[in-house]
Amino acid sequence: MIAHLGREVRRQLRESGPTGLVALLLVAVATTWGGVLWAVRGWVTKELLDQDRPATVVATLRSPDDRGELERALAAQPNRTTVTVTTPAETKTLLSSWFPELSAALLGLDDASFPALLQVEVAAADAATVAEWLRRRPEVTVVENSRDWQGRVERTLAGVMVAGFGLAAALLVGCGVVVLLVVRLLVLEHRDEIAIMRLIGAREIDIRLPYLACGSLLGLGGGALGVLILTGLGAALLPGLGWIGVWTGIVVPLIGAAVGALGAGLGLASLPVAP
Amino acid sequence: MADEAVIRLEEVTKSYRTRPALRGVSATVERSEFVFLTGPSGAGKSTLLRLLYRAELPDSGRVVVNGRDVAELRPRDVPGFRRRLGIVFQDFKLLRRRTVGENVTFALSLVSLSEREQERRAYLTLKRMGLQHRLTAFPEELSGGEQQRVAIARALVLQPDLILADEPTGNLDPERSHELLELFKSINYQGTTVLVATHDRSLIETHPARTLFLERGQLVRDGWGTTP
Repeated sequence: MIAHLGREVRRQLRESGPTGLVALLLVAVATTWGGVLWAVRGWVTKELLDQDRPATVVATLRSPDDRGELERALAAQPNRTTVTVTTPAETKTLLSSWFPELSAALLGLDDASFPALLQVEVAAADAATVAEWLRRRPEVTVVENSRDWQGRVERTLAGVMVAGFGLAAALLVGCGVVVLLVVRLLVLEHRDEIAIMRLIGAREIDIRLPYLACGSLLGLGGGALGVLILTGLGAALLPGLGWIGVWTGIVVPLIGAAVGALGAGLGLASLPVAP
Repeated sequence: MADEAVIRLEEVTKSYRTRPALRGVSATVERSEFVFLTGPSGAGKSTLLRLLYRAELPDSGRVVVNGRDVAELRPRDVPGFRRRLGIVFQDFKLLRRRTVGENVTFALSLVSLSEREQERRAYLTLKRMGLQHRLTAFPEELSGGEQQRVAIARALVLQPDLILADEPTGNLDPERSHELLELFKSINYQGTTVLVATHDRSLIETHPARTLFLERGQLVRDGWGTTP
């Protein structure tokens, strides 16, 4: 029975021809795209949005002379903090090292043109409290909190992910439609054969299962190809990124198979019901 | 005592729209009988056969095959019911994209048999038809007579209780037609009930057997010979 099913499925796959290949490649593109998004999301979440990492609060001081009093006040805070103060001269050097093409201009400016910066390292949970405390201090002009920045990145990432996964979902729907068309064409082409099969006692499952299996295999093959592409991309571009885990390697082809099966199932709706 | 009738028709009526195809047909075919069903074109022979293998349902009356009323069969029971029948058609109805061997093993693949057993049975049945050397040929590579013998092999391979043949000689020359009838007779001698629908009177005259004569949807004669 299994060998018979295998033969029938091989026959359907062979007969699905270039259209079947298009379906397979579309699934591969959709799953690769989804996999890339997933890997980028994982990297951003791990490297940039880690909630357990200490947060950094940066404050700009009105005057470098205010640093002593502010440091003392911070030391009295209940939150354990590490405070680093950057003098205007150090700020100038730092900026010129970040922007070497502007360094000549920057180094030509007076130290007083640059602010003194106060950088406070705090536990992530305390970042908002410390930032708020600093904002209320008269010595401080501007306060930036790395948690706020993470929040902005998180919101932007969520938007990008919704759009990206929406596109991947649209591609998968397209794959399902192509598989549907492949199966519909096969069914139309085999209409007489199916009628004969029914006459000699084939059950509906004997007739339909090879088409369903064919659609699922096209999806599974596309998903597996997607995993291979992802693995190749990971190895070639960013080996440390951890593009594809074991579960992704299993789930991605299964998603492809499910899309293929769904498309094939809908394609089989065109198969006339036995009288 | 078990019912020995393989086919029992009771006042069977069937119409297509307003055109009656069968009108109150009643007949019985016993186990191991060889029966011709004859009559002019449009007499209702094919309709009667379609009712027997449940491709159609009667408008009224009862069609009982192998002890089962076809009108009461649930759709899921129809494939099993048909596997107990061997059906042979005028146009052979072979699976064009499959080899001779695959055409025969396809029928066997519908029941639980090992691959080896399927191949063995297919080979033996084709050997009986004299086609064991054509296992890997495709239907279009065969002559009409050979194609019909493949169709008969496919019908026989599941060892059915009843063979229904609808104008099986319609596409064959007289010599091949008589050979085919001999083949049906030999199948019948081994205990299988055979019902052959044909409008070829010479065939019935050469191979005399019980004959049901249909005319305009009515059974006008049940006996030996060709005269209505």
